Amino acid sequence: MWPDRRVTDLFKIEFPILLAPMAGVMDQELAIAVAEGGGLASLPCAVLSPDKAREQVNIVRQRVSAPINLNFPCHILGDPDPKREAQWRQRLAPYYLELGLDTVSSVNSAIRAPFDEMMCEIVEDVKPEVVSFFYGLPDQRLMKRVRAAGCRVIASATIVREAIWLEENGVDAIVAQGVEAGGHRGMFLTDNAAGQPGTFALVPQMVDAVKVPVIASGGIADGRGIAAAFALGAAGVQIGTAYLRCPESKVSAPARAALAQAMDDSTVITNVLTGRPARSVLSRLIREVGPISPDAPAFPHAATALAPLKAAAEKLGKDDFTTLLAGQAVRLGREMPAAELTRALAGAALARMSKLAS
Amino acid sequence: MPIDTTLTARLGITHPILSAPMDVIAGARLTAAVSEAGGFGILGGGYGDRAWLEQQTSKLKSCSAPFGIGFITWSMAKQPDVLDIALAAKPRAIMLSFGDPKPFAPRIKAAGALLICQVQTEDMAKQALDAGADVVIAQGTEAGGHGASRTTLDIVPAIVDLAAGRVPVAAAGGIADGRGLAAMMMLGASGVLLGTRFYASIECDGPEEGKKRICAASSGNTVRSIIFDLSRDNVWPAPFNGRCLVNDHARRWMGREVELLQNVKAVAAEYAAAKAAGNFDIAAVIAGEAVGLIHDIPKAGEIVERITLEAEQILQGRRNSSMTSPSIAR
Repeated sequence: MWPDRRVTDLFKIEFPILLAPMAGVMDQELAIAVAEGGGLASLPCAVLSPDKAREQVNIVRQRVSAPINLNFPCHILGDPDPKREAQWRQRLAPYYLELGLDTVSSVNSAIRAPFDEMMCEIVEDVKPEVVSFFYGLPDQRLMKRVRAAGCRVIASATIVREAIWLEENGVDAIVAQGVEAGGHRGMFLTDNAAGQPGTFALVPQMVDAVKVPVIASGGIADGRGIAAAFALGAAGVQIGTAYLRCPESKVSAPARAALAQAMDDSTVITNVLTGRPARSVLSRLIREVGPISPDAPAFPHAATALAPLKAAAEKLGKDDFTTLLAGQAVRLGREMPAAELTRALAGAALARMSKLAS
Repeated sequence: MPIDTTLTARLGITHPILSAPMDVIAGARLTAAVSEAGGFGILGGGYGDRAWLEQQTSKLKSCSAPFGIGFITWSMAKQPDVLDIALAAKPRAIMLSFGDPKPFAPRIKAAGALLICQVQTEDMAKQALDAGADVVIAQGTEAGGHGASRTTLDIVPAIVDLAAGRVPVAAAGGIADGRGLAAMMMLGASGVLLGTRFYASIECDGPEEGKKRICAASSGNTVRSIIFDLSRDNVWPAPFNGRCLVNDHARRWMGREVELLQNVKAVAAEYAAAKAAGNFDIAAVIAGEAVGLIHDIPKAGEIVERITLEAEQILQGRRNSSMTSPSIAR
């Protein structure tokens, strides 16, 4: 049994390990496997339609009797800025030319929508045990409805000020996202990505500043990292990158190969993929256009013009424009079933803690 | 019960806590205070100021416990005789950071001192081990002052694996309390090196205003950049840059480094004047990401005691790390 019960009791799980919700590279299969291993099953809904989200929850409910964490973004969706869009298309024009694509054709791709009325109805309907938010929280009216549905609410913070804000706005736990983490920065009270502290420096400072449990994320991918997070005062860990190579993820075969070869310095924080800073494995696009480009339109509009490039290049077997978000601990990822990995991580952490106690 | 590790055994000290050789502000007073409390104080020889070094090492003659002396390797290499001044003070160890330690290792060893090498990547760690390092410090990007890009959580286990038990590995960057020491031991390190925490101590020779600003700062208030090196016209070799508290000067130039470089003469003059006047809205306070854990200016010996006590309790499972740390109990 895990010695620190704060997170295991809050979510009613065996181990205080949360699967990071990784939109686009996973579905219910990975979530189910992590639940079977004793961790918290998370389903990212950022790029799902409400119907698709409902369908995935239903599959999880049929297969396992375990709590579910539905994850939603809470960004403010701005209108596309035509001038910025034009600059961005111009910046990408050589690649369109190279791949024989028409630059003027507009592309209809799914836009990442923030948590809204429709998604809230799904939450009220399927009643997930946990709802997690990214980029802050939804408005108070929606928050009340999520609460009324009986859900525990958690959210991500990248600096202490954000953690205090989340606590004041009634979350049950906070995910402390350090700079090592893969994917998008969860920042919402600052836009200074360069100021984001590392997990190691961030966790104890957040623990001192808030009363709710702090869940460490970013750079944690083995038993040593989990044990260290608990020594810093964390009550749980959220792990994403370590699960990418599990057979249950939806990572493509070429991307799996890239992950297997990635080194500790293979990732970088870039804004060219969506317009918001995110940690990703280096690609040709990031190398040549980024990692930070002033031309990239605001989130999530930068992604729109990339979609045709990605599709055309992948048809030729190239990953030049393929997005592969991953954290700094990418090298520690292992190819094993996610349930087994979850139990192995917990076991290694417990062994580490008891070894140093003797 | 003290925390015995391969590091305490190697250095012959009681507690696995080292104070960083912060250029010029880690003087004899701080070094002796940390060492006499059972930790390991390291004098901040920095770039290698001969007069300062002679003055401080003569003060260390009365120090009753083992201590170290640190240098910025690439700068010391320009005037290697300063190493002789250091070795004449009979330090237990010489600590070299930022540059190839190999040319200096034979002299250090011949003088009977141990070689401590601070590294930021695996390649640098290999170089240090080849040079005969007796202790390796793995420094993460969270650290104040000069460093590189990889985080403590990432680099420490990597260097521990690389050293494979041959030499003790200590961790640096983002550590300011017993939780940090305990966490680093979970990652396989056998001790820690702290800079910013000891900056905010009574014995540190840093400016009082700098200490106050460290106590007031919270997480996210630091930035690693080349702004301050450019502003003091101090060219460092790649891949190193420096972490400082964010101030007006940093806010003014962040993202405009090229423009700063184009106006470097004017900016450097303004910066030097501000530094002389003690204006820390422009001049840098060098500090790491752990600033948010630092709220007071105690004696250095008390810092060593607090960290040791807290880490022991966490490691023995007698204390929940979420309890308020003794360093901030007010």
